[in-house]
Amino acid sequence: MSNIIAELRDVRKNFQDSLIFSGIDLWIEEGETIGICGDSGSGKTTLMNVLGMLDRPSGGSVIWEGNDVTGERSSKLSKLRPKLFGYIFQRCNLIPELNVLENLLFPRRIVTGVEQSDVDFAKNLLKRVSMSGAESRNITTLSGGERQRVAVVRAMMNHPKIIIADEPTGSLDERSADAVMDMIVGLCGEYGSALLLITHNGRFAKKMNTSHKLHGGKLEKIHRWSRES
Amino acid sequence: MKWYTYLAIKQLFPTGKRVSFFTAISVLGVALGVMVLFVVQSVMDGFQRNIRQAIVGTQGDLRVDSKSPIMDGDDVDTFLKSLPEVAATAKYSYGIAMMQRDKRPAFPIIKGIDLENELRVVDLQKFIKCGTLENFDSGGVILSGELARWMRANVGDSVEIYSPKMMENEDGDEVILPKTLEVAAIFETGYHHADQNIALLPLDVMQELYGLNGWIHGIGIKLKPNVRAEKFAFELNKCLNPPILAESWQEMNRDLLFALKTEKTMMFFVLLFILLMAAFSIAGSLTISVVRKTREIGLIGALGGTAKQCAACFMVQGLVLGIVGSAIGIPLGMAVIRFRNDIVSAFVKLCRVEDFMLKFYAFSNMPAQYGARDIFVIVAFAIALCCIAGILPALKAAKINPAEALRNE
Ligand SMILES: Nc1ncnc2c1ncn2[C@@H]1O[C@H](COP(=O)(O)OP(=O)(O)OP(=O)(O)O)[C@@H](O)[C@H]1O
Ligand SMILES: [Mg+2]
Repeated sequence: MSNIIAELRDVRKNFQDSLIFSGIDLWIEEGETIGICGDSGSGKTTLMNVLGMLDRPSGGSVIWEGNDVTGERSSKLSKLRPKLFGYIFQRCNLIPELNVLENLLFPRRIVTGVEQSDVDFAKNLLKRVSMSGAESRNITTLSGGERQRVAVVRAMMNHPKIIIADEPTGSLDERSADAVMDMIVGLCGEYGSALLLITHNGRFAKKMNTSHKLHGGKLEKIHRWSRES
Repeated sequence: MKWYTYLAIKQLFPTGKRVSFFTAISVLGVALGVMVLFVVQSVMDGFQRNIRQAIVGTQGDLRVDSKSPIMDGDDVDTFLKSLPEVAATAKYSYGIAMMQRDKRPAFPIIKGIDLENELRVVDLQKFIKCGTLENFDSGGVILSGELARWMRANVGDSVEIYSPKMMENEDGDEVILPKTLEVAAIFETGYHHADQNIALLPLDVMQELYGLNGWIHGIGIKLKPNVRAEKFAFELNKCLNPPILAESWQEMNRDLLFALKTEKTMMFFVLLFILLMAAFSIAGSLTISVVRKTREIGLIGALGGTAKQCAACFMVQGLVLGIVGSAIGIPLGMAVIRFRNDIVSAFVKLCRVEDFMLKFYAFSNMPAQYGARDIFVIVAFAIALCCIAGILPALKAAKINPAEALRNE
């Protein structure tokens, strides 16, 4: 029996008249890895936003650690969110006015405040993603792959229970994409975070425990990835 | 430090960059506004101080005056001297007379003074520009600067004085002989009103000219330090019999003092527009920055920041610009005031208007004075305006929905 951290129950989302998806049931258990793929515009990002309550569902309920948070005030959600979710986006993940280390510590600053242990943790993880020595580098001087690696570390900083990665390697070439992907999977395994990976890349989806495909507003479970779609 | 304060400061002063262009321009705008306000207010204060000094220096702190001559002048004088607040008194009488030299007539206010006591009440000595007071008591006269210029009289020249008393002689048989006095000294306070048209004579000469039999018109009073003239005059009036009336220097010059104060306040509000412009440009630039950073605001939402905190981040930027601008503007203003005379003389040389400046402004030293209160008011206004400038972008930032912001590329 695994613990369910976050769950969507019969969730529907529409923007004005256009229905994006409906009847979605999805749950994420501790430490598991889930892949979601689907055509562009099928609603993957929207699904992820609803799960993190950055966007509210039009119907159904969102449950975090057993509590229904569907109607919760946004200030309360802001408090809970960083403990549960760490985000990695396709790009523009980092704040350009801060250097690498400051970017890494920023999520800690929002949640509690920065302590020496956080600095050590950040430096440690930077080493893990082969970026040691880059602490004081300016974000604008980093390559795309390097930025994504920093973003991966930043997502880990609050020890979230789930890492949500929305096409984290979408703008990288194959080799650095592989490297970044390995780092995400590796770190999630190491720190016990679950992983929700949104990707177009079939190879990455295959690496997950389970994969789903969002299609026509419904989520289909694909246990075994098949190449034809 | 709250994270939004931290981010606000970092956005204004990014790590690894010396200073952002936006910050530099905004801070400069605020600093210039603060500096100009500070310098102008200080110079106006300086002029005010000089004028007040000239007033007190020529009129004393207080005077006891009457519409009709005071016959028991000595009794009143003794009474005043007995009061603990009073440092010194000086009897005087005054009136208008005609003065003539080389067929140039003038109609100055002539004031008869008891020099020895007068010097204890007013700073006459300080304003003497030429001549001495030595020969005054033996039939001398002291002229105000402008009167002397008009009469073309120098120290040592004689002037003739005709009093109204002389014209009263009904039977025209008598030849009216003017009183001839020698110019002992010329005084100048730098304050037009006091320098315009006054001649000082020994009290006994004045009494003789006006046929006063030892009567006087009033008594000037110098107060001990820290006695407030207005309050003392109010108290004193309870003991004095009308028409004898005590009047503080503030009351005597109420219109002038009010005008000076109003002028300073008006200047403040006019110059406040410079700060207002600076605040507007900050509001504009911060609003653009909100739009530019839309995605970042969404990202912060994903990291656990609330809309209110994001709004606070932009408010704080306004606040910080106000604080930094003031922190630069005030010392800059102090520096300008410190070197004001060099700056003015350089300007004067550059424009070749030296004669003009001397002639019309009659000062080689620009007065200036500032106190904590002025600094506080200016800084408070600057910071408040910058904070208000932060409100508009903050409201815009608070409206941003993180999910939509994250779609923003
Ligand atoms: N605020 C909105 N108002 C109206 N329609 C929206 C809004 N946000 C998203 N959509 C629409 O919802 C649909 C799903 O968008 P979403 O970004 O979730 O797709 P996606 O699966 O992540 O696509 P991609 O793979 O290209 O990232 C799209 O058709 C989009 O146009
Ligand atoms: Mg997407």
